[in-house]
Amino acid sequence: MGYRNLRYYVGGMADWTESGAVIDKSDAPVAPAPVKSSAQLGTSRRLSWLELLANLSLETLVSVWLGMILVFGLIYWLAGIGMGWGLQAGNSAVKPDLDGLWTAIYFSFVTALSIGYGDVIPTGALRIFAIIEGAAGLLIFGCVISKLVSRRQEELTEEIHRTTFEDRLDRVRTNLHLVFSDLGSVQQLQAEQGVLPELVVRRLESTVRVFRGELQTVHDLLYRSQIMPDEETMHSLLANLVICLQGLVEINGALPNGRAPALDAGLRSVSSLANEICGECVPRVYAPELKESMDQIRELARKVA
Amino acid sequence: MAKPQTQEPTREYSTISREEILARLQDRALAIVNVMPPDSFKAGHIPGSINLPLAHIETRARQLLSNLEQEIAIYCAGPT
Repeated sequence: MGYRNLRYYVGGMADWTESGAVIDKSDAPVAPAPVKSSAQLGTSRRLSWLELLANLSLETLVSVWLGMILVFGLIYWLAGIGMGWGLQAGNSAVKPDLDGLWTAIYFSFVTALSIGYGDVIPTGALRIFAIIEGAAGLLIFGCVISKLVSRRQEELTEEIHRTTFEDRLDRVRTNLHLVFSDLGSVQQLQAEQGVLPELVVRRLESTVRVFRGELQTVHDLLYRSQIMPDEETMHSLLANLVICLQGLVEINGALPNGRAPALDAGLRSVSSLANEICGECVPRVYAPELKESMDQIRELARKVA
Repeated sequence: MAKPQTQEPTREYSTISREEILARLQDRALAIVNVMPPDSFKAGHIPGSINLPLAHIETRARQLLSNLEQEIAIYCAGPT
């Protein structure tokens, strides 16, 4: 993997427990990376507040936006009461009454949407507030729009993922079925003729190759996949794997010595891959019957090669 | 990764003793990595260690331990 300073604690948990040292039992699935280079820290900090804004949900963003407009409207109104430099409509100052509050909120909306009719104008320090509100309004509104667009896009991507995923599952199922029937006919030949002719061994080689490919797919499903098929589908896949492996084990036991090296290599590869599938070693927790199937797969894997 | 096999393909690491780990539990320069499945990790682990199950090493190691020069102590259940 490229790490240059790996050190192995041979004793492991057994030795650690034995020594009576402290044992942590907290459930932290994966702790964050302990050390980051300072350069990385810099960039992530600098971006953080903008990212924080972009990571808010659509609803929160809209309410933040509305809240901001109301708060700024109140500021414009209160500035008119307290400091005397309020908003101006036409040539007269906006009065600090209920009507004035409406005008202030109206001005706030016009500013935040960067419409700027110009029928109400800010004076004095309120100009600064108006500019800040305009900039913030643009920023937040942009986030809202991008959220709307990307939400649709995410839906589409998910849909595409799901369809390809289902196609893939279908392919695995079909191929496993083919492998199974292939193995069946080979077994029959074996029973009838005893020794397999060269041609059949070739065919067996290709069957093993196809099987290995599908085994890899299921293996990846168990280990890496973001999406999972429902447990029933998974169970049927695993059960198919078990049947095919059983067939392979039987055929393998009856093969004469000095068989094709390619077949040997294929079987070894199948064995090592299947050996990684067991109820305890996969990262997720599955129903007991699935675990059982996985354990069966591992058991059979040891007999294949 | 079909790398051509050199004479010593797997000896890229040295060993570390229990005493050293104990002494350096607070040392941020030493990352302690537990490669057991999450269930076993939950049942008990060396304080301050990170859980990186064997099955995830390929996919998550670089993300979790981005510094290749980092001193990393690895352990599992025991000498088996």
